[in-house]
Amino acid sequence: MSELFTQTLINGLLLGGIYVTVGVGFSLVFGVLEVVDFAVGEWVMLGAFAGAVLTAALGTDGLYLVPVVFVLFFVVGFFVQPFLHHVTTGDRPMPLLMGLVFTFGIATFARGAVLTIFGPNTRSITSGATSGAITLSGIGVFPTIRVITAAFGVLSLLVFMYYLYRTKGGMAIRAIAEDRTNARLMGINIRRYQSIAYGAYAGLTATAGIFIGLIYTASPGMGLQYTAFAFFMVVLAGLGYLPGVILSGIVLGVVQSFVAVYVSSQWVFFSLFALIYVVLLVSPAGLLGKGEAAT
Amino acid sequence: MSAERTDESGQRGLRARVDAFTAREDAWKWTFGAAVVLLALLPLGLNSFWTRIALGALMWVGLAQSWNMIGGYAGYLDFGHGAYFGVGGFVTGIVMVKLSLPFIPGLLLAGVAGAALAYVIGVPTLRLKGSYFAIATWAFAEAMKQLALILGITGGTFGMSLPTAASSFGIPIPGGLSETFFYYVMAALSLGTVLLSYLVLEHSEFGYRVQAVRDDENAAESLGIDTTRVKRQVYVLSCVIAALFGSVYAYHITFIHPNDVLGSLITDQMVIMVLLGGLGTIYGPVVGGLTVFLLSRMSSLFLGSSTIYLPLIGVLIMLVVLFAPSGIVGLLNGQTSRADVKKNVHELADKFDLL
Repeated sequence: MSELFTQTLINGLLLGGIYVTVGVGFSLVFGVLEVVDFAVGEWVMLGAFAGAVLTAALGTDGLYLVPVVFVLFFVVGFFVQPFLHHVTTGDRPMPLLMGLVFTFGIATFARGAVLTIFGPNTRSITSGATSGAITLSGIGVFPTIRVITAAFGVLSLLVFMYYLYRTKGGMAIRAIAEDRTNARLMGINIRRYQSIAYGAYAGLTATAGIFIGLIYTASPGMGLQYTAFAFFMVVLAGLGYLPGVILSGIVLGVVQSFVAVYVSSQWVFFSLFALIYVVLLVSPAGLLGKGEAAT
Repeated sequence: MSAERTDESGQRGLRARVDAFTAREDAWKWTFGAAVVLLALLPLGLNSFWTRIALGALMWVGLAQSWNMIGGYAGYLDFGHGAYFGVGGFVTGIVMVKLSLPFIPGLLLAGVAGAALAYVIGVPTLRLKGSYFAIATWAFAEAMKQLALILGITGGTFGMSLPTAASSFGIPIPGGLSETFFYYVMAALSLGTVLLSYLVLEHSEFGYRVQAVRDDENAAESLGIDTTRVKRQVYVLSCVIAALFGSVYAYHITFIHPNDVLGSLITDQMVIMVLLGGLGTIYGPVVGGLTVFLLSRMSSLFLGSSTIYLPLIGVLIMLVVLFAPSGIVGLLNGQTSRADVKKNVHELADKFDLL
């Protein structure tokens, strides 16, 4: 195998790590709140922008802001969830679709507010880690920031999965995803755990946004791309099926990396959207068939 | 005290009169006739700048009405409706530029192409429900935009310019291709859409079938309604209308680019207009379309920012979904009363009891 091939493959795997972080939270929110969040890409954008604005204002290294942004967006998400819960329940026409429309409102608001306040220009996040590179003889050269990003992706995924599958709180969240009414009857405070789930999702996605902003740049219009990526991952994995997202996120990173190197990049998005469409029609429960079937 | 009481009774008198009018069988004829007369006379009092704004408002009312057919009456949230607007525009452009035909065949072919595409896409996609339908149509529309950016026939990333000569219309027009001329074309199309929407969805058995599909598809099926057929018919109808508007828009604006006419903002605005006005009502898209369009134009005119309407619209849509799910029309006709809004606020406050 040529060095270019190996390097492309590893670059793709490194990129996939951060996509998984976005996709896992998105999939969890669909399971727990039964809401398809059209604002997912905007959380990425907001995270990247928060990183860019805060590094410029405080003069700190972008990487130090990771915990700050996580906490900030966890709190934001924690208090956004009651609104979502309200619009998906109660006496209103098509409650589940209203949740989708509400996130649509969040997305329009976030994109428009950032565009109006900060203008359409792209910004970069400054960090000492963006310039360095790690050389592995015989395999290739990898930018330090991509390695750090992938390490963060894996670490956050492990913590997230540990919380979800090994703690009482995580069990409560999974129970709500299984059956909200029954979970409530078992004495689970569904409001609290739904808020934790949405907060964790918003926090993780925004943090992923900082890393994406470190690798590329931050711009008000970047959200749509990541909304597309998130949809691609969960549709391939099957809506609500978490382990599938790990696979599809890595596939996404590798495919993106290879297409950029070996094929013209103009077909990337067409193929991406066409695949989402076709998979939904042919196999709505995901390629592995383990997602929630269409309702 | 007494002054308040007279105020209330005065309001009640007005409301009673409005209710008495709307209860009449022929109320819609009077309303529609008044709208026709008003719109026919409107350009006499407007300069070309305001005519252009009125034209835009008419287009958006019509587009919102077309989305309302599938999204509001049939209950299928189509997040890819803008694709048909763009396809209409590009088909007209291709017919006029590459085939050197006048606008009238361009308009007709845009309608035919819209119908054909809507049928081909509708047959498999309408099998999906709820969020799955929304995601699939969204992905379809984005794929169409990417395709238009790649293909040579649409001009790719350079976009496409349409002929501007008055002779390109097909039949001679007195006064040439003026702003006023396009205003009347758009007014005719928009009024036609509203009338068609009323006759087909509010005033016919077909309309009841469509709403039965929305309210409970299985129950509708069990009553002998061919739901698959009904859904396809509504979908194709609403998409053809969007394609026709795209065609007229392209001819009027004379330059189209995939990022504009196939952009997701087109669909976004239609959805927002209908929701804000009132889903599945005839007046909803009219009220919502006017509100959102004028808000976007006026904010760039008076607030000096062409993007500030986006966050405003975002907040509006959230408020509507939270507190008044039947939209502005629901608030006006009493479907959502003050007590309902209050109840919604209380229920929302309860949900903040998180610990």
